[in-house]
Amino acid sequence: MIIDQERCIGCEACSVACRIENNTKNFWIHVETQGGGQKDIPKGKFPNLEINFLPQLCNHCNNPPCVDSCPTEALIKREDGPVILKSDLCNSCKACIAACPYDIIKFNEENKIIEKCNFCSHRIDQGLEPFCVICCEGQAMFFGDLNDPSSKLIEIISKRKVFQLKPEENTDPSIYYCHPRPKRIL
Amino acid sequence: MNDSDDIRIIRTACPAHCGIDCCGILAHIKGDRVIKLEPAEFPIPNDKRICLRGLSSLDITYHPERLKYPMKRVGERGEGKFERISWDKALNIISEKFKNISDNYGWKSIGWVLGGPGAGTTKFGAYLRLASLTQSTRVSAWGYGDAGVPCGSRTIFGSQFPYMYLFGTFWQRKWPDLLVVWGSNPAEAAPLQTMRKILDAKENGTQLVVIDPRFTITASKADVYVGLKPGTDTALALGLMHVIFKKGLYDEDFIRFETNGAYLVRIDNGKFLRGKDIGEKKVNAFIIYDESSSTAKVLRRSTLKTACITGEYEVGGIKCKTALQMLTDLAKEYPPNKSAEITGVSPELIIKFAEKIGTVDKATFFTWMGFTRTYYGDISLRGMISVATITGHVTTSISSGYIPAVLNWDPFLKAIPDKPSFHRMGILNLYNAVISGKPYPIKALWFAFINFLNQCVDCNKIIKELFPKLDLIVQTELFMTPTAKYADILLPVCSFLEFSDFLPRPYPYVQLQQKIIEPLYESKSDVDIVAGLAEKLGYGQYFQGGENAMIDLIMDHSSLDGYSREELRNKAMLLRVIPEDSNIPLPFSTPSGKIELYAEQLSEDGQALPVYLPPVEAPVSGKSQKFPIAFIQGHSRFRTHSMFANVKSLLELNPEPIVDINPTDASKRSINSGDWVTILNERGRATLKARLSETVNSGVIDITEGWWINQFKEGSVNHLTHDIVNPVQNKVYEPNMHMNDVAVEIIKYKEGEK
Repeated sequence: MIIDQERCIGCEACSVACRIENNTKNFWIHVETQGGGQKDIPKGKFPNLEINFLPQLCNHCNNPPCVDSCPTEALIKREDGPVILKSDLCNSCKACIAACPYDIIKFNEENKIIEKCNFCSHRIDQGLEPFCVICCEGQAMFFGDLNDPSSKLIEIISKRKVFQLKPEENTDPSIYYCHPRPKRIL
Repeated sequence: MNDSDDIRIIRTACPAHCGIDCCGILAHIKGDRVIKLEPAEFPIPNDKRICLRGLSSLDITYHPERLKYPMKRVGERGEGKFERISWDKALNIISEKFKNISDNYGWKSIGWVLGGPGAGTTKFGAYLRLASLTQSTRVSAWGYGDAGVPCGSRTIFGSQFPYMYLFGTFWQRKWPDLLVVWGSNPAEAAPLQTMRKILDAKENGTQLVVIDPRFTITASKADVYVGLKPGTDTALALGLMHVIFKKGLYDEDFIRFETNGAYLVRIDNGKFLRGKDIGEKKVNAFIIYDESSSTAKVLRRSTLKTACITGEYEVGGIKCKTALQMLTDLAKEYPPNKSAEITGVSPELIIKFAEKIGTVDKATFFTWMGFTRTYYGDISLRGMISVATITGHVTTSISSGYIPAVLNWDPFLKAIPDKPSFHRMGILNLYNAVISGKPYPIKALWFAFINFLNQCVDCNKIIKELFPKLDLIVQTELFMTPTAKYADILLPVCSFLEFSDFLPRPYPYVQLQQKIIEPLYESKSDVDIVAGLAEKLGYGQYFQGGENAMIDLIMDHSSLDGYSREELRNKAMLLRVIPEDSNIPLPFSTPSGKIELYAEQLSEDGQALPVYLPPVEAPVSGKSQKFPIAFIQGHSRFRTHSMFANVKSLLELNPEPIVDINPTDASKRSINSGDWVTILNERGRATLKARLSETVNSGVIDITEGWWINQFKEGSVNHLTHDIVNPVQNKVYEPNMHMNDVAVEIIKYKEGEK
């Protein structure tokens, strides 16, 4: 997946969509404000201000520390990319929460189970896109197969510089981001 | 959600009052319950969309606090004490009361206050039809924030809306070199139909400038953000025009042929020089000054070619200037330094911006309603349009895109062709009609799809002076809103999944809002409610067949030949394509038939030109005064006006009203983020939490509109707003409410202190 910060308007429709699709009380996606340190607050002094948004979901890492940490093999890395949680195998030990450098795995306080984004694998398996992607207001989220040369993702990567979160963790996330475009002065 | 076998999927569309988005929606139904909403396909695949509000609509339909049955007030108005009654009894009480009032005061003393129907048509039409049959009063809701645009647009373009002329081509994905978004925040208010296109335009090389007193999310996407003081837009427009004129960056041909810029204006009375003034046979003809022969001539297509567009001339002893010269002279008074001083924008930026507008091949000016919610907002719009006009950035003909649908409104606006129809009253004029009986008394009000008390100006006046004068208040509602508490009869209405309607939106489509489930509890659709009342009043025959008959009626127009309710059940349909290179001229229904840079009919009001007049209340001059802060109301992505304010899932992301205050103003008052603060003026107070934010400049505070009164610790946004009528707007169309032209002070809240 590629998330284009230029097109993200911070609306949180992805967070809301995810919660509805996965029928949970937790937000598996959260939208971080990059600005003045508080949600929706820019940095700088009026009128020289800047704010950007960084939606964060499970990175579906290619070297997923959560999978390594799981003692019951409830977490698996699928061959086609998603890191998914098999709830029936999970004993809620929370080792994965400690292992994830992105703080993205959730504990459901109500029914005491671990929850995480499964990349909407139930939809992917039907040939559909993740629900957050089709509900993204700004059309900032792009889903596809990086091994498929005809994918929209390849087109974006050929034109824009992309980055992953916390590369120093060597997790090799499957979620890539594009920085906002530079401002053009008059 | 694996047991997909039991799930039925039906297409509908969200009619929420977010302007024009009107997303197509697929409802997933299991048994008799809708379990999920998702975006539906459109003929143009890229138009598939939904927003976080639309996604959360099920939380409205299945909200535990929905009104479940008709109720009659038993406590005092506002107390919220009601008892359950039957529909039959409710409608009997209303019809008896209506008959009683009409016997004493006439039917016109009964008013229908119809708010924003969103994209809905027949639910609006049904009320108009009954109002027309009974010759009662339709209270127009334009004036609750949306009358400034038609006032300005009617004056300069001769059209209710300026949009086709300003950004009609933008909707057709023709990307300009420069896009100016002026006083509008589509990223939150119209994210799909508009903001997506803005992002697309940027991706295709468009440079984006956003002008706004708030640093909005839209502004954050701008290449250049122009942060100005609220209500000073016309001074900015004049500063831009100053530079454009001075540097000769105006489009001479466009001004000559598409505007009344070349017409001679009499200096003595501000009226156009006419044929009769110079002894011409065509007594009312406009006059131009011919360059080659140095004589005044009657305006004709041929004479216009050699007409002077600037200059001062004496014709038969009458001193005249061209209309453009009048505008140029006005702009001369606003050099960048002066414009900068008024607006707070830097003079360098004004110069660069003006140069850019004047030199790019194609600029598009985009706006909605926000910056016209100031006392002289209609002039602000004309100022902006004047900038676009003198540089030739106004669309005068279209040769691509789609032909907007025309609806068959006749049976609704005039139910019986040879009989008079309803009376019309602007909503701001309603205050006086109820309180003082002028121009005639209103004794009963029926509120439909409007949270009147919450969303209209000066709550204290409404509560203390307006409501007590009414013999009957009826409200159709989903919830016990702040307004509903004041109703005498409260009628439960359906959510959008429980009734059908025809939606001629979003451009370029028409859609069906399709009933997905039966009305919950005892709720009814507005169409069915009106039909029930009409039956009691003896007009039942006009409402046979319910919503579907109404839809068929409103679609019965030649522009919709070939479109049917049946076909729309499964898909949105594209409007008819405008044949390429057909070059359809857009009409200007002004006195001159052109874009009116000079509006003669407002010369006696001193507003023939887009003059800068300071806000009626918002303190922008910097002089010290009792209420030194300008209070404005932005829009929130979590609500559509007051809709969705009570939706739990959205409240988790955005739990309570907050006032944004600049840290400089906050520190002067020892206010920190999270503190309870009271905002006050002579009309009222609002108490809520503060948030320190640079999104507003010093001297300005912002609370997003739509929070319900009960969600504040005390008061609300509209406890602070005023009902001052702009008489010129009253003359042109109807007066607007000026929610963004308000002066306040902000202090730390102290328990018990009033």
